[in-house]
Amino acid sequence: MSKDYVQQAGMNKDVRVDGKRVAGKMRFNPPGSGGSRPEMAERDMEFIPELEGGNEAQPAGGHFQDKYRTGTTVGKRTPLVDANAKVTGQAWYGDDVRLANELIGRIIRSPYHYARVKSVDTSEAEKLPGVIAVSTGVDAPSQFGVLPVTKDEHAMAVEKVRHVGDLVACVAAVDEETARHAARLIKIEYEVLDPVHDPKKGLLDVDEPIHWRGPYHIGSTNVQKRVFQEFGDRGSLEDTTQAFHNGKWKFMGVNHGFTEPHAVVAHWDPNGRLQLYTPQQVPHYAHRALSTVLEVPMHQINVIRTFVGGGFGGKSDPFPHEMCAAILARKAGRPVRITFDREEVFWVNRGRHPSHIEVKINANDEAKISGFEIDALIDGGGFASFGHVTSYYNGVLATAPYELGSFHYTGARVWTNKPASGAMRGHGAVNTRCAIEVGLDDIAEKLKVDPVDLRLANLLPPHSKTITGFRITSNGMRQALERVREGSNWSEKFRKLPLGKGIGIGCGFFISGSGLPIHWDPHNFPHATVHLQIDMDGGVTVHTGAADIGQGSSTAVAQVVAEVLALPLEMVHVRSHESDTSPVDLGSYSSRVTFMNANAAIGAALEIREKLLNAAGEILDVEPEKLVLNDRRIYVKRDPTIGVSYLDALHKSQEDIGALIASGAYRTPPMGGIHKGAAAGLAPAYSFSAYVAEVDVDVDTGQIKCTNVWAAHDCGKALNPLAVEGQIIGSCHMGLGQVLSEQMVYGRTGHLQNPNFLEYKIPSVHEMPNVTPIIIESCDPEGPFGAKEAGEGPLLPILPAVVNAVYDAIGVRINDLPLTPDKVWAAISKKMKKLKLDDPRDLPVPTLDFSELQKKLEERSNEHRLRDSRRQRMEDTGPYLNGVLFGLDPTLPPEEQDETWKISVKPDSSQLDNLGLAGSAWTKKEQRHMAGGK
Amino acid sequence: MVGEDFVSMIPAAQSEIWYGEVNGQTKEVIAKSNSILLDVLRDKTGCLGVKRGCDMGTCGCCTVMIDGEPRLSCLTMAHDVSGSKITTVEGLSDGSHLAPIQQCFADHGGSQCGFCTPGFLIASQALLEKNPNPTEQQIACAIEGNLCRCTGYQQIVQSIQAAAAIHRGDAEAVASNNAAHADPHPSGPEI
Repeated sequence: MSKDYVQQAGMNKDVRVDGKRVAGKMRFNPPGSGGSRPEMAERDMEFIPELEGGNEAQPAGGHFQDKYRTGTTVGKRTPLVDANAKVTGQAWYGDDVRLANELIGRIIRSPYHYARVKSVDTSEAEKLPGVIAVSTGVDAPSQFGVLPVTKDEHAMAVEKVRHVGDLVACVAAVDEETARHAARLIKIEYEVLDPVHDPKKGLLDVDEPIHWRGPYHIGSTNVQKRVFQEFGDRGSLEDTTQAFHNGKWKFMGVNHGFTEPHAVVAHWDPNGRLQLYTPQQVPHYAHRALSTVLEVPMHQINVIRTFVGGGFGGKSDPFPHEMCAAILARKAGRPVRITFDREEVFWVNRGRHPSHIEVKINANDEAKISGFEIDALIDGGGFASFGHVTSYYNGVLATAPYELGSFHYTGARVWTNKPASGAMRGHGAVNTRCAIEVGLDDIAEKLKVDPVDLRLANLLPPHSKTITGFRITSNGMRQALERVREGSNWSEKFRKLPLGKGIGIGCGFFISGSGLPIHWDPHNFPHATVHLQIDMDGGVTVHTGAADIGQGSSTAVAQVVAEVLALPLEMVHVRSHESDTSPVDLGSYSSRVTFMNANAAIGAALEIREKLLNAAGEILDVEPEKLVLNDRRIYVKRDPTIGVSYLDALHKSQEDIGALIASGAYRTPPMGGIHKGAAAGLAPAYSFSAYVAEVDVDVDTGQIKCTNVWAAHDCGKALNPLAVEGQIIGSCHMGLGQVLSEQMVYGRTGHLQNPNFLEYKIPSVHEMPNVTPIIIESCDPEGPFGAKEAGEGPLLPILPAVVNAVYDAIGVRINDLPLTPDKVWAAISKKMKKLKLDDPRDLPVPTLDFSELQKKLEERSNEHRLRDSRRQRMEDTGPYLNGVLFGLDPTLPPEEQDETWKISVKPDSSQLDNLGLAGSAWTKKEQRHMAGGK
Repeated sequence: MVGEDFVSMIPAAQSEIWYGEVNGQTKEVIAKSNSILLDVLRDKTGCLGVKRGCDMGTCGCCTVMIDGEPRLSCLTMAHDVSGSKITTVEGLSDGSHLAPIQQCFADHGGSQCGFCTPGFLIASQALLEKNPNPTEQQIACAIEGNLCRCTGYQQIVQSIQAAAAIHRGDAEAVASNNAAHADPHPSGPEI
């Protein structure tokens, strides 16, 4: 390279000192910067782990990848790599893709809740000038669905429409006005059927179930999925119970409320390949479904993920409108763009399930949780979506972080004639978590102990197994609880605040990546694959399918690559938009991206690192093991003067191949039980969180204002604390919406009454409390540099924390979310009537007078703190199975040492009569077991 | 969209010439007389940074500055503001130099998915131009019409505070620890 090389004329004269970025004037000197200079920046010891000789504290012990840390970016507050595109308006979302000669598509939707489509007459619409293509259900008869076991959706109605807003037909025209006009000209004849709106009625036999599953259909009900799980010893519960809680909850449906409405652009290129632009969290599932519906092989489809304007689970299903756009574009021979208005977003929904949940908790005389019983009836709406999984998650994700004496779950998901529910941030775990955390608060009150100590004395330790067999690795629950207790000044406030002011606690537990890929056996294909490519000038291109939906996955992947190779972040470019260039990836759901993709990226970067070190070793005649990387140089660890530049080593190792290419993959270790449903909720790691919320309740109006939140989340290791804090605060916002104001309101006739942001009340800046994010780093042994998820788990604790704080403030428990002022005021009035009070300001507030148990709990949690710390630091590696707290041997499975320990996934005939609401689905037989089934 | 056929009561729109000074450039386009400003900006003037989130003035994603005032372009008839000076997110930066408000949103996590960001940027820029020393309450009032589903607003408020400090001259635009600024060889000798 020439000495006098100047990347851009006069660049050094014009360097701004105010930190503003200047395009084309980044201060890299020659391409492949760092090239041949001997000097380099010092290693940033603040970000090198202490066990490797740096200053970064490691309270939870070391990690096997610590030796690859270079102090470059991991752990530093890093702006998102695509932030500049977003703040300049250059980020391209679904509707920003404008192709030449485009047409505008509109979708014709059902006005009926449930009806048979008798005929669709499109002739009038086709005659309208400017209409280029019209399509109906006959054009795409194949079914699809996000889960292979429940493919129950069509691009457009084939036989029936199943909710208001279900797709019937679509048109493509030269402009939106013509398309809307044409949509009104399509004549559809319906035969209206009896709709089901109440999920409780979904459990009953009907003449015309919403879907028909043949021999596997449960009776002739609308039950889509039923679950039964019984673990542990429930026989002696009645005798040993000291405190008992029974909470019956109602949760309204919640929508994701992402700001970008769905939009899609489809274009069949001149070679006959489909180019589909869509803001998808999970482009690969859309890719598969498109292939099925369009009857085109997957390699003839290129799914291009645009920037995604918020996902939260709502953009993870393959959607019928994506098929419609492709079908219209194929018919028209021109690109077709379909953009939803906000109302349509609510018709597509896939939000959190409206649920009826009953929770029973038994605690024994030592304040151990001897029984956990959950019954969850969830309203799935018109389609299955992720419902199969949601049905399990409502129960099984409640089995930690506490050690349980027994666990019993019955769940059912029913179809109703509403827009389909699906996955939403905290998938399936949120509602049950709220119910059980509030239940524990009640138990603590009955036992007269501090609810924080009750939790601290019943935690599962790190490296243990839950009652259903989930393998917990790192576990920062204890630190999270202790930190929020300290931060919020809990002991000075709890049960000591005046009427109208309250403080409450809640905990959370969530998966960090789903243990099993939905579509394949993990032994055949890995969960995630990342390709790296380094060309001659030293820039690194990362090819990954991880969908950045704003959470910063591209940043995380770029960070770990930059960290391993000790390169500035600007030299790493993430390419993740196109399915043509990115390896297959399962996308952004179940909080899997950081854990799986970053791990795969580290694997690929290590391969490159090894090649570079070998090359440098050859040049320097030094053994590669003695070399380290830092700031675009490779040198001998003991003597930094002996070294070569990154570029020299790169060119040496590129001899004969031009570019260095590496591939890394991540697959989960084998884990989990063998019972039916054991795979649901399995994850390579779990995140833990504890929140304390403070609220003000206006007792005259029932208005609740959440004022302060201390939010501790165990994310293993914060690769980017800025992003982790953003996720924690954002989760608080979304959870607060659900607990205080957000609900999808269905009227008496089952019609959705608030499909817009005026009446669907998302908290504004004025409703936000002051959130203090606290990051707990428990260093997960398998996570990338110890990291776990931070995107979904932090949402869980805010709901129960607020509900518990409201109780602390006014002494009333309300089991019906959201806690809108009318409900709160009704509960206050009821209590006033009961106590014969005239003024709500005379309401008594709950008080706390510790019982003897409190001391015992404190002692037990002190003992456990030692146990946990030893296990966390791997000083104690003995097995620990749930049940040890109840006197079982940690080394043997409980069922082998306790005859009464049950593991059952099907009710026996004696249980059928006293199952809960959702459990009653088990009283029906599947068609194949019925005589003369339909 | 959903429901029985209906006959539009609105008389057919006429095409007319709409002009305005968009981000410092005079634009003259043909638009329907009943067009909303959002559609004209997105479809006719190429300002795709103006986002459509709800069509009814509830989300704030479409906020643009009209003669210095932040307005919702989805509730503004293009005809009514013909001839105005309009600033969209594309007009905030000075060439490729990011404005302080943009830089601070990027550096302080004020933008996650980024869809609401253009609206927030315009609303906060309008605030800072009038009041470079806003209290937290004033900031909250300035962005109360904007919905953000990702950040929970806290980092947005922090971003605006940081930008306010630059506007006041209390702080220089602080270089983030993004390596572009932190390059250790600003003018090192080449060998």
